[in-house]
Amino acid sequence: MAISVKVMHRPAPETTSYLRAALSGMALTFRHMVNPVKVTQQYPEEQTDLDPRWRGTHVMETHADGRPKCVACGLCPTVCPANCIRLVGGEDDQGNRYPLVYEIDEFRCIFCGMCQEVCPVEAIHVGRHFENAEYTRDRFVYDLDRLMEQDHPSTLLWDPSDPTSE
Amino acid sequence: MADMVKVTIDGHELEVPKGTTILEAAKRVGTEVPHYCYHPGMSSPAMCRLCLVDVEGAPKPMPSCVTTVMDGQVVHTQSEKALANRQGVLEFYLVNHPLDCPICDMSGECNLQDYVHEEGRKQGRGREPKRVFGRDDFGGDVLFYGDRCVMCTRCVRFMSEVEQDDRLTVVERGNRSVIDTFFAEGLDGTNWHGNIVDICPVGALVSKDFLHKARAWDLTHTPSICTSCSQGCNIDLHTRDNLVQRIKPRENLDVNGWWICDHGRHDYEWMNRGDRLEAPLARDGSTSRATGWKDALRGVLDGAAASSGGVRAIASAGSSNEDLGALRALVDALGGGEIVYRSARAADEIPLKGYPTLARRRDLAPNTTGANLMGMTRVGGDDATGGLEGVASHEGVVIVLGDRLDDVGADFGEKASLYVYLGTHDVPGASAAHFVLPVATHAESEGTFTNREGRVQRFEPALQAPGMARPAWLVLGALTAERTGGGVARTAPDAFAALGSTVPAFSGIGYGDIGSRGAVVNESVSLTGD
Repeated sequence: MAISVKVMHRPAPETTSYLRAALSGMALTFRHMVNPVKVTQQYPEEQTDLDPRWRGTHVMETHADGRPKCVACGLCPTVCPANCIRLVGGEDDQGNRYPLVYEIDEFRCIFCGMCQEVCPVEAIHVGRHFENAEYTRDRFVYDLDRLMEQDHPSTLLWDPSDPTSE
Repeated sequence: MADMVKVTIDGHELEVPKGTTILEAAKRVGTEVPHYCYHPGMSSPAMCRLCLVDVEGAPKPMPSCVTTVMDGQVVHTQSEKALANRQGVLEFYLVNHPLDCPICDMSGECNLQDYVHEEGRKQGRGREPKRVFGRDDFGGDVLFYGDRCVMCTRCVRFMSEVEQDDRLTVVERGNRSVIDTFFAEGLDGTNWHGNIVDICPVGALVSKDFLHKARAWDLTHTPSICTSCSQGCNIDLHTRDNLVQRIKPRENLDVNGWWICDHGRHDYEWMNRGDRLEAPLARDGSTSRATGWKDALRGVLDGAAASSGGVRAIASAGSSNEDLGALRALVDALGGGEIVYRSARAADEIPLKGYPTLARRRDLAPNTTGANLMGMTRVGGDDATGGLEGVASHEGVVIVLGDRLDDVGADFGEKASLYVYLGTHDVPGASAAHFVLPVATHAESEGTFTNREGRVQRFEPALQAPGMARPAWLVLGALTAERTGGGVARTAPDAFAALGSTVPAFSGIGYGDIGSRGAVVNESVSLTGD
C-alpha cells in the first residue's frame, strides 16, 4: 500500500507579507479589549464551585454533647485501601466504646470515601474542602480532636436527612 | 465391623461408629451443621434448636447434636426444610439480640453473625423493642453483656461439668431468662473461667483484658505452646502490630483438649516488652559497646580459646529443645562441663476436674523434661533462686542462656575468664559479662518444647525479634560450627535434626512428623516427676 504524503506548501518568506496575519491577530486583541470575556477567577476572594461528588479532607461528626460519634468498630481502617487510618479502641467514663486514638494521614489518603461508606454510625465523612496547607508534614496527620474541629461541610454524597440512605 | 453403621449425609455415604451423633458424622463429610449449645467437650442439652436437620422418615426435624446415626439413615443438612428451619430459628435469636456488632468484641468471630450472614433473612421483621439487660461484671476476667446472650448455656455447663465449680446459672424464665452468678461471689477465685469467653458463641461473655483492644479480623493467629507450666498446652498467639494481643487455646485432645488455664491465658505481657537487648554488647571493665554479630562471635571464640579451666553453663527450662541442644553441643565442643538450670515450682497443682489429663502443673517451666533429657541438672529452690554458687566461683568459661539471674549481684561471673550471657534483657547479673548476646524469645522464634509427659510440640514465631536478636540455637550453633569446623544449622528443623544426632531421646522424631499434636520422645518419662 502506497503511503500518501501530504505536502505542505508554505509561503516563501521573501514573497509574502506578515502584515495580514499581524493585523488579524491585533483585531482579536482589540475585540477582547472592548468586549472582555472574563476567564480569570479571583481566587481566593472568589471560591470555586465544587462538584457535587467532591471528596475532600475528613470531618468527624459529633453528638450534641461534643463526643465523637465514632464507636471504634474498626471498619474504616479495615476498608481503607491506602491504609491511612489508625484506630485504637477504648472505653469512655460512661462505658461507651470510643476511639482512644483516631488518626487519618491525609497525605496517604486517596479520598475514595470508602470510610464514609462503611461507617455504621455515620461518624466519619469526607468533606467539601480542598484547601490544605501546613508548615510541616506531620500536621497532615489529623487526630480525633482535629477531625472534630473541622468546620467545613460533609460531602454532598451524604444526605444528613437520610443518613443511612435507605 | 459390627458396631459401624452406614449413613447418608447430603448424598455422601459414610460408615461411622455406632453412637456417633449426626453432627459429628456430618463433620466427616465436611459439613459443619450450625450450632450453639453443642460443644464436643461438654454434654448436649439440644436447646439452641439450630442444629435441627432433615432426617428422611422422621416426622420432625431432628437435633443433630444428640441424635445418633442409625443404619441406613438419610440426612439432609442443606435441604429446603433444614434451611427454612435454621432461618426461622435465627430470626428468633434476632428478636432480642442487639445489632451492636460495631461495638461488640466478638464481631468478626461471632457464630450468630456468621450464621445470619450465611443463612439468615436478608431483612429483619422485628418491630418490637428488644429487651435490655445492660452489662454485668462476672468477676475474674469476664464481662457479661446480657442483651447479646443466646442462652446456649455453654458457660453454665462449663463451670458445672468441666471446672466443676457451679458459679453460673440461668435465672428467670422464658424471654427474661439470663445468665447470672450467685450473689456477689462471681467467678473470682476460679482458675479456668477464661474458657467460657472462648466457648461463648456470641459476644455475651467478653474478656476484660481484651475489651476493645483489637478487632478479630486484624489478628494474626500463630500456633504456639504455652510457657506457663510443663503441661504444654497448645495455644494460638493472636498478634497485631507485632504485639501479642491475647492467647487462645488450640485444640489438642492429647494435651489440653479445648481449654487453657487463666494463668497461661494472661501470661503474654513479657512477650511484648520493649526494653530488649537489640545488639550484641562487648564489655571491657566498666565500658560496654554495641557490636556486630561477627565481632561478638569472634570475640567469644577467641576468649574461649584463651581460657582454661573447663566450662560451666546455666540454661533455662524456658528455652526450646533446639536452644538447649545447641548449648549442650557448644559446651561439649568447648571441652565439656556441667549445665545447670533453675525452674520455679508452684506449691500445688491446679487441676481441671472435668478434663483429668489437664492441670496447671507444679513445674512452672515449659521445657524441664527437655532440659533433663539433655543431661542438665536442676539446682536452686522452688522459687527459681539460689544454687549458682558453683558457677559464680568458676574460673573458666561461663555461659548463661536465658536465666534472668535475679538473685545474683553485679559481681556474678567476675572470676570467669570468659563470661557470655545470652538473654533477652540486659540484667544486673550480666554486668560482668564479657559478651552479652541478644536472643529471641519463644514468641519470636521457631522450635519445640518437651512437655512433662515427653511430648515434643512445635511452636512458630508470632513476633518479629527486635534489632539484631537471633534465636539462641542459631547463635550457639554458629559458635559450635566455628569451633569444630562442622556445618551450621540455619533453620529450626536443621537444629532439631542436629539435636537428634546428639541426644538419643530425640533421634526417632522428625521435625515434620511432630505435626499439630506433638510426638512423644523415645525415652519413657516419669509421669510423677514433678
